[in-house]
Amino acid sequence: MHVNYWREVHTTGPGRFGLGLLILMATAAVLAPLLTGYQPTAHTGAPFMAPSAQHWLGTNDVGQDIWTRLLYGARTSLMVGGGVALLSLCLSILAGCSAALLGGLYDRLMMRLVDALIIIPPVIVAILAAAYLRPNTTLLIVVLSLLLWPGGARIVRAQTLSLKERMPVYAARTFGAGRLHLLFNHIIPDLGPILIALMIQDTRRAVFMEAGLSFLGVCDPTMISWGKMMQHALKFVYLDVWKWWLLPAGFALSLTVMGFTFTGFALETALNPRLRKEAGHADN
Amino acid sequence: MQECVRAKNEPAPNKILKITAGLKKAAFLNYVVALFLILTINFLVPRLMPGDPLQAIYGSEALLVITPELQEELTHRFSLDRPLGEQYLSYLTSLCRGDLGHSYYYNTPVLKVISGFLPWTLLLAGLALLISTLLGFFLGVESGFRRGRTLDRVLLGGVMLFSGFPDFFMGIVLLLFFGVFLSLVPLSGALTPYAGHSGLLLVMDLLHHLALPLGALVLVRLTGTYLLTRNTMITTLGEAFILTARAKGCPERVIRYRHAGRNTLLPVVTAAGLQFAHLVTGTLFVEIVFSYPGLGSLLYKSLLTRDYPLMVGILLVITIVVLTINLLLDVFYSKLDPRVAKCT
Repeated sequence: MHVNYWREVHTTGPGRFGLGLLILMATAAVLAPLLTGYQPTAHTGAPFMAPSAQHWLGTNDVGQDIWTRLLYGARTSLMVGGGVALLSLCLSILAGCSAALLGGLYDRLMMRLVDALIIIPPVIVAILAAAYLRPNTTLLIVVLSLLLWPGGARIVRAQTLSLKERMPVYAARTFGAGRLHLLFNHIIPDLGPILIALMIQDTRRAVFMEAGLSFLGVCDPTMISWGKMMQHALKFVYLDVWKWWLLPAGFALSLTVMGFTFTGFALETALNPRLRKEAGHADN
Repeated sequence: MQECVRAKNEPAPNKILKITAGLKKAAFLNYVVALFLILTINFLVPRLMPGDPLQAIYGSEALLVITPELQEELTHRFSLDRPLGEQYLSYLTSLCRGDLGHSYYYNTPVLKVISGFLPWTLLLAGLALLISTLLGFFLGVESGFRRGRTLDRVLLGGVMLFSGFPDFFMGIVLLLFFGVFLSLVPLSGALTPYAGHSGLLLVMDLLHHLALPLGALVLVRLTGTYLLTRNTMITTLGEAFILTARAKGCPERVIRYRHAGRNTLLPVVTAAGLQFAHLVTGTLFVEIVFSYPGLGSLLYKSLLTRDYPLMVGILLVITIVVLTINLLLDVFYSKLDPRVAKCT
């Protein structure tokens, strides 16, 4: 049975909403230099200017243009999210597939390690590591990926175990296909939708964690990030600036996370046959 | 249901007992390994940093006020002049004695500082867990039962919208709206200082301060339980025993809660435990927004003042609390549902 996952996601309400938000954010991030005339680190006016034609969202405490920083913040957020999703996915595939295909003692040790790592609360360890390392974007991606891969590894292993017993894989093996051939030509393509669901989930968590860490102030001070904007803006709540400094950053972050939540929800509904519309019961 | 009760009363076969005991041991081992991994990260990261490890452990600001003698003593205390293995051993033994180091900002042992702040965090996190699980379950059952109808769509959309807000931003929004705009609730703290309330007034004052942080946490954390309940509810409603119940002529309400709802409960309770880690970290962030005098605010202060021993101590205490709760849940898991004890 083949389901057109793409169609199922982009024709449902939540899926369309989520994808729309994601496209919006990605556009803002990619086209950032075209959408603003300022550099994010340049001092462009007096501090705490109210929104005007020159500064759409006013300026912050050192006179930087907030709208510009908002756009460049999208870059950081999406880059960390995407980077973590890719890297932790690679680690998950590496660990999960190798455990499932090699089996034996290696499998048991690997899964024991994964079981132990899954229990570790990732945000807490991330704060601990970040407080010492003060990571820039690249280092942050590595640290977060190292914390997020185990969940995916377990899912990939379970799925690979079931896939490797299926007919096409079995047939390929009787023709003498090696493990690597099986992995790249048969197993990974069939893992497709699950891997995408995993990536969406990891991206969402990474965006969350990046914002949280920079909200705590434990990251490279030169990074332009929504979390850090909120941390700074929160110090000036007694002024009116929160209306165009604090809220836009928070809403941009929330909309990005929502985009991933809704897309992920739509995909999960499509992946789980019991939740799909055709299988509807109970209510009719 | 009767069958399950009978199975519980009968003495279980030896083989099953052995397997469950094995499982529990494995689960326990996982927690030990996890704890050691965290301790090791905690031990290794400051020592692998370039430069003086003492500076990494205590932060550069602290060393400005340290005399050479004190530096000598601290080096000796952390065994920094000895090989890494011995350092690790002395690190672990001092942890076992409950020595988390000395907070130079408060000039008190770290453990003592933390113990003053921990109850507030536990109060906030515990109440948030309870309320969000109960509310999420209730809404999930109602929504799953009415799948596709207006109420379900509104609830699903609304709850998922809320989940997109990071805890601290939800806190900020509530704070700005109810605290700054409407001036309904106090802006920070857990009690009115020097008010000298007692009895009922004290409780009211406490709840008044608690309402917003709790509200923010519940709104954001509701989603996990809600979505899980709704999904499980939908799958459960497709089972044969629901059809039987309908055929028997059971009223809808009975089917909704006694048949389907009850069977939905198990994954929900398990997930509530797993969510605890997220909830605690969420609590930390929300506390910072509301200056609630719990571990989160303390952590923020320790990060701002670069009081590293205090920061590490807080994170270790939180980790140990989270791991302990999850371990307890794992152990009592089989008691929640007789089927699990029987099947594993």
